Amino acid sequence: MDYVLPEHLSAAAVISVQNEEQTIVRVLQELRKLPLRDIIAVINGTTDGSLAAAMEMPGVTIVHMPEPLGHDVGRAVGAGMTDADIVLFVDGDLPVAASDLMPFLTAVSKGADVALNDISPYLGRFDRWDDVSMIKAFVNTALGRKSLRANSMTSVPHALSRKALDTIGAGRLAVPPAAQAAAILAGLNVTVCCSVDVIKRNRVRSTNTGKGNDVARLIMGDHIEALCDAMEQEGPRLGLPDFVRRRHAAGGDGPCRTG
Amino acid sequence: MKPVRQKAAGSRRRGRAGARKRRRLVQSKRKLSAGERRKPSIKKSKQGRMKNPPSTGWKPEMRASPDSNTKFYPVPANGAGVTPAVSVIIPVMNERRTIAAVIKEARKVHPSTEVIAVVNGSTDGSAEEARRAGAVVLEYDQPLGHDVGRSIGALSASGEVLLFIDGDFVITAGELRPYIRAVLEQKTDVALNNYHGPRRRKQVHNVVLAKHALNAMLGLPELGGASMTAVPHALSRKAVTVIGAEALAVPPLAQVKAASAGLEIRLIERIPVGIRNRKRRTRGHNSQLVRLVMGDHLEAAALLIGQRGRRGGCTDLLRKRQYCEVR
Repeated sequence: MDYVLPEHLSAAAVISVQNEEQTIVRVLQELRKLPLRDIIAVINGTTDGSLAAAMEMPGVTIVHMPEPLGHDVGRAVGAGMTDADIVLFVDGDLPVAASDLMPFLTAVSKGADVALNDISPYLGRFDRWDDVSMIKAFVNTALGRKSLRANSMTSVPHALSRKALDTIGAGRLAVPPAAQAAAILAGLNVTVCCSVDVIKRNRVRSTNTGKGNDVARLIMGDHIEALCDAMEQEGPRLGLPDFVRRRHAAGGDGPCRTG
Repeated sequence: MKPVRQKAAGSRRRGRAGARKRRRLVQSKRKLSAGERRKPSIKKSKQGRMKNPPSTGWKPEMRASPDSNTKFYPVPANGAGVTPAVSVIIPVMNERRTIAAVIKEARKVHPSTEVIAVVNGSTDGSAEEARRAGAVVLEYDQPLGHDVGRSIGALSASGEVLLFIDGDFVITAGELRPYIRAVLEQKTDVALNNYHGPRRRKQVHNVVLAKHALNAMLGLPELGGASMTAVPHALSRKAVTVIGAEALAVPPLAQVKAASAGLEIRLIERIPVGIRNRKRRTRGHNSQLVRLVMGDHLEAAALLIGQRGRRGGCTDLLRKRQYCEVR
């Protein structure tokens, strides 16, 4: 099956890889079926055969850093190395079929600036949500985008337009919720695209399982950082009203400031 | 600000539990106000020096200390000069229909109880009703705005426990007592209603979401959607001192202060206020109010950021930001 984009648009994929020798080849094989000008694999802190496996694949640009860059920094580094019109972000540990990835490219080619993976179908009832999903939905709602629900650039796959990358800045992608907040506040077209189940299929690591694990706290912190950024721009209530609450009558003063 | 209550007969769907009881209470009050069996103002003597409270603008700077002689010093409703164990604080805005029954239950929560009704922006005689029912009444001509009445009530409360309820629906003394006990006997500083709002669904109301998210940010996910925004809740004297009475006007802010100070926060009985409270139910459709509550929670998040840093005290793990020029 052939996947095509409008001729005037170029596309690239950024894939961040640590120790993923089991999955990296399959991930790259799927990417090679897509109409991509660049495939940029940011291989960092790897101690297994991931680098060798990636080097076997033709048509892949490899960025190799011996030290681990930390969460999502690879995305920022990779995004800074392409000037394609559409950039698709995937992870090295999660092979996704080309047919499931193409809709993200298509969405951006049709005018979306940020095309998110819609994880809503996998979350179920709110009383069973984890903390991280709650904070994701809260930040979207606070920014006036309740319709985005618990969908976040923290989750892959997602795709960005050139306009989004230039507005947000590639560096910001290292803290994905902060990038998302910046995109929303800049009035970019942030949309949910289609659903790829990354929850069930994500590789289980010691740090990302169980409630209150390290990665959950990292993502929580990312969202608080996103709120902090937004508040520096829009004020501590993000423009939401206080009405005629007579705080002075109770001895209080105005809304507090961050920092 | 509290919405001006519209007494739309159409919105009178009643909740399940407690509805019968409340109706009974309200009815008994109605009999009284019909003037059939009203005892001549015996209760008035219990108001002590608050007998003739100012009809306009009681101001906090007029709040007197115990050693002052101003007539604004609220005397406990149940006995002159005795420091009460419990202060029940009830903001009231045009709630004449229910206020007497609410106060009647509130006075029974503990043998030593003062009831403080902060009547604001009321034109329906709520203040007179509250006074007749035995409450100390602090009266304001103008509406104070959402939850500001709680701050003002707390400023003049002298109890060891402060219990916060609303004037528009009755919670029985039996339901309220566990909150008092938790503070007086079980070393709880903040006793919250174990009520989380309707959440057995895929998408929840913004307010429910905000409450859950704030507790998660605070690192207290076990609190779920329990919040000082909701009544009833009780505070220890220590909690009021640590939080500051003025912060009670923005309940999520108070919740952050309580959590960050390491106060003992516990969930007590579940009282499904969302079902009982007609005002709250109509509030769900009041987008302005939802935006206010959302803003309150953001302000609370801003305070958290001020206290714990840009990431709210959460780990960045090994993220090497020098490679991506992000702060």
